[in-house]
Amino acid sequence: MVEKDVVEGFARLFGVERFLYKGFVVKNGNRYFLLNQKLKSLTKKRGSWLYAGTYLGKVERGGVFHPSFPLLFMIAEKAKNRIVVNDKAAWLFICGRDVFKKGILKIEGSRKKGDYTLVFNRHGECLGYGVIAKNLDKLENGLAVKNLLDIGDFLRRERQAIQEI
Amino acid sequence: MFGRDFFVERYRRLGWEFREVTLRQAIRVNSMNVRGFDVVGHLRDLGVELEKVPFLQNGYWVIRSDFSVGATVEYLLGYYSVQEAAAQIPATLFTDLKDKIVLDACAAPGGKTVQLADLMNNTGVIVALDVNKRRLEALMNQLERCRVRNTVVYRLDARQASKLGLKFDRILLDVPCSGNFATDKDWFRRRTFRDVERNAKLQKQILAEAAKVLKDDGEMVYATCSLEPEENELNIDWAVKTLGLETVEIDCYGWEAPTEVFGKRLDESVRRCRRIWPGKTQGFFVCKLKKRR
Repeated sequence: MVEKDVVEGFARLFGVERFLYKGFVVKNGNRYFLLNQKLKSLTKKRGSWLYAGTYLGKVERGGVFHPSFPLLFMIAEKAKNRIVVNDKAAWLFICGRDVFKKGILKIEGSRKKGDYTLVFNRHGECLGYGVIAKNLDKLENGLAVKNLLDIGDFLRRERQAIQEI
Repeated sequence: MFGRDFFVERYRRLGWEFREVTLRQAIRVNSMNVRGFDVVGHLRDLGVELEKVPFLQNGYWVIRSDFSVGATVEYLLGYYSVQEAAAQIPATLFTDLKDKIVLDACAAPGGKTVQLADLMNNTGVIVALDVNKRRLEALMNQLERCRVRNTVVYRLDARQASKLGLKFDRILLDVPCSGNFATDKDWFRRRTFRDVERNAKLQKQILAEAAKVLKDDGEMVYATCSLEPEENELNIDWAVKTLGLETVEIDCYGWEAPTEVFGKRLDESVRRCRRIWPGKTQGFFVCKLKKRR
Protein backbone atom coordinates (compact mmCIF):
# COMPACT_ATOMS: atom_id res chain seq x y z
CA MET A 1 0.00 0.00 0.00
CA VAL A 2 1.52 3.34 -1.10
CA GLU A 3 0.23 5.37 1.88
CA LYS A 4 1.73 2.96 4.35
CA ASP A 5 5.05 2.90 2.47
CA VAL A 6 5.50 6.66 2.85
CA VAL A 7 5.11 6.49 6.63
CA GLU A 8 7.09 3.29 7.11
CA GLY A 9 9.81 4.69 4.84
CA PHE A 10 10.23 7.53 7.30
CA ALA A 11 10.35 5.12 10.26
CA ARG A 12 13.13 3.14 8.55
CA LEU A 13 15.36 6.21 8.85
CA PHE A 14 15.46 5.42 12.57
CA GLY A 15 15.96 1.70 12.13
CA VAL A 16 12.28 0.81 12.67
CA GLU A 17 10.73 -1.79 10.36
CA ARG A 18 7.05 -2.57 9.70
CA PHE A 19 5.47 -1.09 12.80
CA LEU A 20 2.09 -0.05 11.36
CA TYR A 21 0.52 -3.47 11.62
CA LYS A 22 -2.55 -2.22 13.50
CA GLY A 23 -5.04 0.02 11.68
CA PHE A 24 -5.28 1.59 8.25
CA VAL A 25 -3.10 4.37 6.87
CA VAL A 26 -5.31 6.80 4.97
CA LYS A 27 -4.20 9.80 2.92
CA ASN A 28 -6.38 12.91 3.09
CA GLY A 29 -5.02 15.70 0.86
CA ASN A 30 -1.32 15.80 1.69
CA ARG A 31 -1.87 14.43 5.21
CA TYR A 32 -1.64 10.87 6.49
CA PHE A 33 -3.74 9.38 9.29
CA LEU A 34 -3.90 6.04 11.08
CA LEU A 35 -7.51 4.92 11.50
CA ASN A 36 -9.11 1.98 13.27
CA GLN A 37 -11.86 0.02 11.53
CA LYS A 38 -14.62 2.08 13.14
CA LEU A 39 -13.17 5.41 12.00
CA LYS A 40 -12.30 4.05 8.59
CA SER A 41 -15.86 3.03 7.80
CA LEU A 42 -17.31 6.20 9.30
CA THR A 43 -15.06 8.53 7.29
CA LYS A 44 -15.48 6.54 4.07
CA LYS A 45 -19.21 7.17 3.98
CA ARG A 46 -19.23 10.75 5.17
CA GLY A 47 -17.66 13.42 2.98
CA SER A 48 -14.63 15.54 3.45
CA TRP A 49 -13.15 15.34 6.91
CA LEU A 50 -10.17 17.35 8.11
CA TYR A 51 -8.62 15.11 10.73
CA ALA A 52 -9.25 11.56 11.92
CA GLY A 53 -7.68 9.03 14.26
CA THR A 54 -3.95 9.46 14.74
CA TYR A 55 -2.28 12.12 12.63
CA LEU A 56 0.92 10.71 11.14
CA GLY A 57 2.33 13.58 9.10
CA LYS A 58 2.19 15.35 5.77
CA VAL A 59 4.07 15.53 2.50
CA GLU A 60 5.11 19.02 1.62
CA ARG A 61 6.43 20.59 -1.56
CA GLY A 62 9.26 18.58 -3.02
CA GLY A 63 7.79 15.35 -1.69
CA VAL A 64 9.42 15.64 1.73
CA PHE A 65 7.55 13.83 4.53
CA HIS A 66 7.07 15.83 7.73
CA PRO A 67 6.15 13.55 10.64
CA SER A 68 3.63 14.33 13.35
CA PHE A 69 4.53 14.00 17.02
CA PRO A 70 2.25 10.99 17.57
CA LEU A 71 4.21 9.25 14.79
CA LEU A 72 7.53 10.18 16.39
CA PHE A 73 6.29 8.81 19.72
CA MET A 74 5.23 5.56 18.01
CA ILE A 75 8.64 5.27 16.35
CA ALA A 76 10.35 6.17 19.63
CA GLU A 77 9.19 2.92 21.21
CA LYS A 78 11.30 0.92 18.76
CA ALA A 79 13.87 3.34 17.33
CA LYS A 80 17.46 2.18 17.23
CA ASN A 81 18.90 5.63 16.56
CA ARG A 82 18.56 7.81 19.62
CA ILE A 83 20.47 10.23 21.77
CA VAL A 84 19.77 11.20 25.37
CA VAL A 85 20.57 14.79 26.30
CA ASN A 86 21.03 16.65 29.58
CA ASP A 87 18.44 19.10 30.96
CA LYS A 88 20.04 22.22 29.50
CA ALA A 89 20.41 20.71 26.03
CA ALA A 90 16.83 19.36 26.26
CA TRP A 91 15.46 22.82 27.01
CA LEU A 92 17.49 24.43 24.23
CA PHE A 93 16.35 21.69 21.84
CA ILE A 94 12.64 22.33 22.45
CA CYS A 95 13.36 26.02 21.91
CA GLY A 96 14.41 25.06 18.38
CA ARG A 97 18.17 24.88 18.92
CA ASP A 98 20.59 22.21 17.73
CA VAL A 99 22.29 19.69 20.05
CA PHE A 100 25.97 20.10 20.89
CA LYS A 101 28.22 17.22 21.80
CA LYS A 102 28.67 18.41 25.39
CA GLY A 103 24.90 18.12 25.99
CA ILE A 104 24.73 14.44 24.96
CA LEU A 105 24.58 11.90 27.79
CA LYS A 106 24.14 8.74 25.68
CA ILE A 107 24.17 7.64 22.05
CA GLU A 108 22.42 4.51 20.73
CA GLY A 109 22.40 3.24 17.13
CA SER A 110 23.93 5.23 14.31
CA ARG A 111 26.69 7.74 14.91
CA LYS A 112 27.14 8.47 11.24
CA LYS A 113 26.88 11.93 9.73
CA GLY A 114 23.65 12.39 7.75
CA ASP A 115 21.67 9.73 9.65
CA TYR A 116 18.52 10.64 11.53
CA THR A 117 18.24 10.24 15.29
CA LEU A 118 15.55 10.80 17.90
CA VAL A 119 16.31 13.13 20.79
CA PHE A 120 15.25 12.09 24.31
CA ASN A 121 15.52 13.83 27.66
CA ARG A 122 16.88 11.93 30.64
CA HIS A 123 13.34 10.96 31.71
CA GLY A 124 12.95 8.90 28.52
CA GLU A 125 10.63 11.39 26.80
CA CYS A 126 11.03 11.91 23.08
CA LEU A 127 11.46 15.62 22.35
CA GLY A 128 11.86 15.45 18.58
CA TYR A 129 14.41 14.41 16.01
CA GLY A 130 17.37 15.68 14.08
CA VAL A 131 20.09 14.78 11.64
CA ILE A 132 23.58 13.89 12.80
CA ALA A 133 25.78 16.80 11.74
CA LYS A 134 29.22 15.18 12.16
CA ASN A 135 30.37 11.64 12.81
CA LEU A 136 29.74 11.35 16.54
CA ASP A 137 32.59 8.87 17.13
CA LYS A 138 35.19 11.41 16.21
CA LEU A 139 33.46 14.50 17.50
CA GLU A 140 34.83 15.94 20.74
CA ASN A 141 32.81 19.13 20.88
CA GLY A 142 30.67 21.41 18.71
CA LEU A 143 27.46 20.84 16.76
CA ALA A 144 26.39 17.19 16.92
CA VAL A 145 22.72 16.93 15.87
CA LYS A 146 20.86 19.46 13.81
CA ASN A 147 17.29 20.05 15.03
CA LEU A 148 14.68 19.08 12.42
CA LEU A 149 11.58 19.00 14.62
CA ASP A 150 10.94 19.46 18.33
CA ILE A 151 7.84 19.52 20.56
CA GLY A 152 8.23 23.29 21.05
CA ASP A 153 6.64 23.44 17.61
CA PHE A 154 3.23 23.33 19.32
CA LEU A 155 3.98 26.62 21.07
CA ARG A 156 5.26 28.19 17.87
CA ARG A 157 2.02 27.14 16.12
CA GLU A 158 -0.08 28.56 18.99
CA ARG A 159 1.81 31.86 18.83
CA GLN A 160 1.41 32.05 15.08
CA ALA A 161 -2.32 31.34 15.36
CA ILE A 162 -2.74 34.16 17.93
CA GLN A 163 -0.87 36.58 15.65
CA GLU A 164 -3.08 35.63 12.70
CA ILE A 165 -6.29 36.10 14.72
CA MET B 1 -30.08 47.84 26.86
CA PHE B 2 -26.42 47.58 27.65
CA GLY B 3 -23.74 48.60 30.11
CA ARG B 4 -22.57 47.40 33.46
CA ASP B 5 -25.54 48.69 35.47
CA PHE B 6 -28.04 47.03 33.14
CA PHE B 7 -26.46 43.58 33.44
CA VAL B 8 -25.56 43.85 37.14
CA GLU B 9 -29.20 44.69 37.93
CA ARG B 10 -30.30 41.59 36.01
CA TYR B 11 -27.92 39.42 38.07
CA ARG B 12 -29.30 40.97 41.27
CA ARG B 13 -32.83 40.09 40.19
CA LEU B 14 -31.62 36.51 39.66
CA GLY B 15 -30.35 36.46 43.24
CA TRP B 16 -26.65 37.25 42.89
CA GLU B 17 -24.89 40.37 44.11
CA PHE B 18 -22.20 41.43 41.66
CA ARG B 19 -18.57 41.38 42.75
CA GLU B 20 -15.32 41.52 40.82
CA VAL B 21 -13.53 38.18 40.58
CA THR B 22 -9.97 37.20 39.88
CA LEU B 23 -9.96 34.12 37.77
CA ARG B 24 -7.58 31.32 38.68
CA GLN B 25 -5.84 29.36 35.99
CA ALA B 26 -6.52 25.63 36.08
CA ILE B 27 -5.07 22.51 34.50
CA ARG B 28 -6.61 19.11 33.77
CA VAL B 29 -4.49 15.97 33.80
CA ASN B 30 -4.88 13.84 30.67
CA SER B 31 -4.95 10.48 32.43
CA MET B 32 -4.73 8.58 29.11
CA ASN B 33 -1.18 9.94 28.62
CA VAL B 34 0.29 9.76 32.11
CA ARG B 35 -0.19 6.15 33.13
CA GLY B 36 2.10 5.54 36.06
CA PHE B 37 3.58 9.04 35.96
CA ASP B 38 2.73 11.50 38.71
CA VAL B 39 2.58 14.66 36.61
CA VAL B 40 1.10 16.70 39.47
CA GLY B 41 3.94 15.67 41.77
CA HIS B 42 6.41 16.45 39.02
CA LEU B 43 4.98 19.94 38.49
CA ARG B 44 5.13 20.52 42.25
CA ASP B 45 8.80 19.46 42.18
CA LEU B 46 9.34 22.10 39.52
CA GLY B 47 7.92 24.69 41.93
CA VAL B 48 4.36 24.95 40.63
CA GLU B 49 1.90 25.39 43.50
CA LEU B 50 -1.26 23.44 42.72
CA GLU B 51 -4.54 23.04 44.59
CA LYS B 52 -6.89 20.20 43.80
CA VAL B 53 -10.26 21.43 42.53
CA PRO B 54 -12.59 19.68 44.99
CA PHE B 55 -15.40 19.12 42.49
CA LEU B 56 -13.22 17.73 39.67
CA GLN B 57 -11.44 14.42 39.45
CA ASN B 58 -8.47 15.59 37.37
CA GLY B 59 -8.58 19.37 37.83
CA TYR B 60 -6.06 21.56 39.70
CA TRP B 61 -5.91 25.28 40.23
CA VAL B 62 -2.53 26.88 39.58
CA ILE B 63 -1.92 28.95 42.70
CA ARG B 64 1.59 30.07 41.79
CA SER B 65 4.11 29.31 39.10
CA ASP B 66 7.30 31.11 38.09
CA PHE B 67 6.80 30.05 34.49
CA SER B 68 3.90 29.49 32.13
CA VAL B 69 2.26 26.11 32.73
CA GLY B 70 1.30 26.26 29.06
CA ALA B 71 4.94 25.97 27.98
CA THR B 72 6.40 23.06 29.93
CA VAL B 73 7.72 19.81 28.43
CA GLU B 74 4.87 18.00 30.23
CA TYR B 75 2.29 20.27 28.60
CA LEU B 76 3.88 19.82 25.17
CA LEU B 77 3.84 16.04 25.67
CA GLY B 78 0.08 16.17 26.33
CA TYR B 79 0.28 15.11 29.99
CA TYR B 80 -2.11 17.89 30.92
CA SER B 81 -4.19 20.66 29.37
CA VAL B 82 -4.79 24.20 30.52
CA GLN B 83 -8.55 24.38 31.04
CA GLU B 84 -10.58 26.64 33.31
CA ALA B 85 -12.22 24.75 36.19
CA ALA B 86 -15.90 25.35 35.30
CA ALA B 87 -15.17 24.45 31.68
CA GLN B 88 -14.06 21.03 32.91
CA ILE B 89 -17.52 20.24 34.30
CA PRO B 90 -19.71 19.56 31.20
CA ALA B 91 -17.84 16.53 29.82
CA THR B 92 -17.93 14.86 33.26
CA LEU B 93 -21.73 14.85 33.35
CA PHE B 94 -22.16 12.01 30.86
CA THR B 95 -22.59 8.48 32.11
CA ASP B 96 -20.64 5.63 30.57
CA LEU B 97 -18.74 7.15 27.65
CA LYS B 98 -16.69 4.07 26.80
CA ASP B 99 -17.16 2.86 23.19
CA LYS B 100 -19.89 5.41 22.56
CA ILE B 101 -20.38 7.57 19.48
CA VAL B 102 -20.20 11.14 20.71
CA LEU B 103 -20.92 14.45 18.97
CA ASP B 104 -18.95 17.50 20.07
CA ALA B 105 -21.00 19.98 18.12
CA CYS B 106 -19.06 23.20 18.67
CA ALA B 107 -15.69 21.66 19.35
CA ALA B 108 -12.95 24.23 18.70
CA PRO B 109 -10.51 25.03 20.20
CA GLY B 110 -10.73 21.48 21.52
CA GLY B 111 -10.23 21.51 25.31
CA LYS B 112 -13.45 19.58 25.90
CA THR B 113 -12.86 17.28 22.91
CA VAL B 114 -9.57 16.16 24.45
CA GLN B 115 -11.31 15.76 27.81
CA LEU B 116 -14.01 13.58 26.21
CA ALA B 117 -11.32 11.43 24.55
CA ASP B 118 -9.64 11.09 27.94
CA LEU B 119 -12.89 10.07 29.64
CA MET B 120 -13.49 7.58 26.80
CA ASN B 121 -9.92 6.32 27.09
CA ASN B 122 -9.66 6.81 23.32
CA THR B 123 -12.40 4.22 22.66
CA GLY B 124 -15.52 4.76 20.52
CA VAL B 125 -15.72 7.76 18.21
CA ILE B 126 -15.95 11.51 18.75
CA VAL B 127 -17.30 13.52 15.83
CA ALA B 128 -16.03 17.06 16.33
CA LEU B 129 -17.60 19.92 14.38
CA ASP B 130 -16.79 23.58 14.01
CA VAL B 131 -16.97 26.22 11.32
CA ASN B 132 -14.07 28.56 11.95
CA LYS B 133 -10.96 27.53 10.02
CA ARG B 134 -8.42 29.03 12.45
CA ARG B 135 -10.19 27.58 15.47
CA LEU B 136 -10.24 24.22 13.73
CA GLU B 137 -6.46 24.44 13.33
CA ALA B 138 -6.21 25.00 17.08
CA LEU B 139 -8.47 21.98 17.67
CA MET B 140 -6.33 19.75 15.46
CA ASN B 141 -3.16 20.92 17.21
CA GLN B 142 -4.71 19.97 20.55
CA LEU B 143 -5.67 16.53 19.24
CA GLU B 144 -2.12 15.98 17.99
CA ARG B 145 -0.46 17.27 21.18
CA CYS B 146 -2.70 15.18 23.44
CA ARG B 147 -2.42 12.05 21.24
CA VAL B 148 -6.16 11.70 20.75
CA ARG B 149 -6.91 8.72 18.51
CA ASN B 150 -10.71 8.42 18.41
CA THR B 151 -11.82 11.70 16.84
CA VAL B 152 -12.89 12.76 13.37
CA VAL B 153 -13.10 16.47 12.62
CA TYR B 154 -15.44 18.06 10.09
CA ARG B 155 -15.77 21.69 9.10
CA LEU B 156 -19.51 21.79 9.53
CA ASP B 157 -22.00 24.10 11.21
CA ALA B 158 -23.61 22.40 14.22
CA ARG B 159 -26.96 23.45 12.76
CA GLN B 160 -26.30 21.02 9.91
CA ALA B 161 -25.19 18.04 12.01
CA SER B 162 -27.93 15.82 10.55
CA LYS B 163 -26.14 16.02 7.17
CA LEU B 164 -23.70 13.44 8.57
CA GLY B 165 -26.46 10.84 8.66
CA LEU B 166 -25.46 9.64 12.12
CA LYS B 167 -27.25 9.20 15.42
CA PHE B 168 -25.29 9.83 18.59
CA ASP B 169 -25.20 8.21 22.04
CA ARG B 170 -23.88 11.38 23.62
CA ILE B 171 -23.92 15.01 22.47
CA LEU B 172 -21.93 17.86 23.96
CA LEU B 173 -23.32 21.28 23.12
CA ASP B 174 -20.78 23.79 24.36
CA VAL B 175 -22.55 26.42 22.31
CA PRO B 176 -21.23 29.80 21.16
CA CYS B 177 -22.36 32.35 23.75
CA SER B 178 -21.97 35.90 25.00
CA GLY B 179 -19.37 34.91 27.59
CA ASN B 180 -19.11 36.65 30.93
CA PHE B 181 -17.24 39.46 32.65
CA ALA B 182 -14.96 37.11 34.62
CA THR B 183 -13.03 36.12 31.49
CA ASP B 184 -13.19 39.45 29.67
CA LYS B 185 -12.39 42.68 31.48
CA ASP B 186 -14.15 44.70 28.75
CA TRP B 187 -17.22 42.50 28.74
CA PHE B 188 -19.67 45.14 30.02
CA ARG B 189 -18.41 47.68 27.51
CA ARG B 190 -18.48 45.27 24.60
CA ARG B 191 -21.74 43.39 25.07
CA THR B 192 -25.31 44.52 24.49
CA PHE B 193 -28.60 42.75 25.06
CA ARG B 194 -28.88 42.43 21.27
CA ASP B 195 -25.80 40.11 21.33
CA VAL B 196 -27.53 38.00 23.96
CA GLU B 197 -30.69 37.72 21.85
CA ARG B 198 -28.69 36.85 18.73
CA ASN B 199 -26.74 34.13 20.55
CA ALA B 200 -29.90 32.74 22.18
CA LYS B 201 -31.47 32.34 18.74
CA LEU B 202 -28.40 30.53 17.38
CA GLN B 203 -28.31 28.28 20.47
CA LYS B 204 -31.95 27.29 19.96
CA GLN B 205 -31.19 26.31 16.37
CA ILE B 206 -28.27 24.17 17.54
CA LEU B 207 -30.40 22.57 20.27
CA ALA B 208 -33.10 21.72 17.72
CA GLU B 209 -30.60 20.10 15.35
CA ALA B 210 -28.96 18.16 18.18
CA ALA B 211 -32.33 16.80 19.30
CA LYS B 212 -32.74 15.36 15.79
CA VAL B 213 -29.47 13.42 15.88
CA LEU B 214 -29.65 12.19 19.49
CA LYS B 215 -30.44 8.50 19.90
CA ASP B 216 -33.62 7.69 21.79
CA ASP B 217 -31.65 6.56 24.84
CA GLY B 218 -28.93 9.17 24.37
CA GLU B 219 -27.70 11.96 26.63
CA MET B 220 -27.07 15.59 25.76
CA VAL B 221 -25.16 18.14 27.81
CA TYR B 222 -25.78 21.82 27.10
CA ALA B 223 -23.28 24.37 28.40
CA THR B 224 -22.53 28.06 28.06
CA CYS B 225 -20.17 30.45 29.79
CA SER B 226 -22.90 33.09 29.71
CA LEU B 227 -24.75 34.41 32.76
CA GLU B 228 -27.71 35.60 30.73
CA PRO B 229 -30.89 33.52 31.30
CA GLU B 230 -31.96 33.97 27.67
CA GLU B 231 -28.98 31.76 26.71
CA ASN B 232 -29.52 29.35 29.58
CA GLU B 233 -32.73 28.69 31.53
CA LEU B 234 -35.03 30.19 28.88
CA ASN B 235 -33.45 28.06 26.14
CA ILE B 236 -33.80 24.91 28.23
CA ASP B 237 -37.40 25.81 29.06
CA TRP B 238 -38.01 26.16 25.31
CA ALA B 239 -36.23 22.84 24.56
CA VAL B 240 -38.30 21.01 27.18
CA LYS B 241 -41.55 22.46 25.84
CA THR B 242 -40.87 22.13 22.09
CA LEU B 243 -38.17 19.54 21.34
CA GLY B 244 -39.41 16.56 23.33
CA LEU B 245 -36.44 16.75 25.70
CA GLU B 246 -36.40 16.53 29.48
CA THR B 247 -33.80 17.63 31.99
CA VAL B 248 -31.89 15.12 34.07
CA GLU B 249 -30.70 15.54 37.67
CA ILE B 250 -26.98 16.29 37.82
CA ASP B 251 -24.61 16.26 40.72
CA CYS B 252 -22.01 18.94 40.17
CA TYR B 253 -20.69 22.25 41.45
CA GLY B 254 -23.13 25.14 41.05
CA TRP B 255 -26.48 26.51 42.12
CA GLU B 256 -29.91 25.16 41.27
CA ALA B 257 -31.20 27.18 38.31
CA PRO B 258 -34.10 29.57 38.91
CA THR B 259 -37.52 28.58 37.54
CA GLU B 260 -38.84 32.11 37.58
CA VAL B 261 -36.86 34.58 35.49
CA PHE B 262 -37.77 38.28 35.34
CA GLY B 263 -41.41 37.49 36.07
CA LYS B 264 -41.64 34.56 33.65
CA ARG B 265 -42.52 31.16 35.11
CA LEU B 266 -40.47 28.32 33.58
CA ASP B 267 -40.98 24.58 33.53
CA GLU B 268 -40.30 23.25 37.02
CA SER B 269 -37.70 20.79 35.67
CA VAL B 270 -35.38 23.67 34.71
CA ARG B 271 -34.29 23.72 38.36
CA ARG B 272 -32.20 20.63 37.56
CA CYS B 273 -29.81 22.82 35.56
CA ARG B 274 -26.79 24.30 37.31
CA ARG B 275 -25.95 27.99 37.25
CA ILE B 276 -22.39 28.81 38.28
CA TRP B 277 -21.89 32.38 39.40
CA PRO B 278 -18.33 33.77 39.07
CA GLY B 279 -16.16 33.33 42.16
CA LYS B 280 -14.17 30.17 42.47
CA THR B 281 -14.57 29.77 38.71
CA GLN B 282 -15.78 31.82 35.78
CA GLY B 283 -19.51 32.11 35.17
CA PHE B 284 -21.09 29.02 33.66
CA PHE B 285 -24.29 27.14 33.02
CA VAL B 286 -24.74 23.40 32.50
CA CYS B 287 -27.69 21.15 31.91
CA LYS B 288 -28.17 17.50 31.01
CA LEU B 289 -31.01 16.47 28.74
CA LYS B 290 -32.46 13.31 27.30
CA LYS B 291 -35.40 12.46 25.07
CA ARG B 292 -38.75 12.22 26.80
CA ARG B 293 -40.12 8.68 26.66
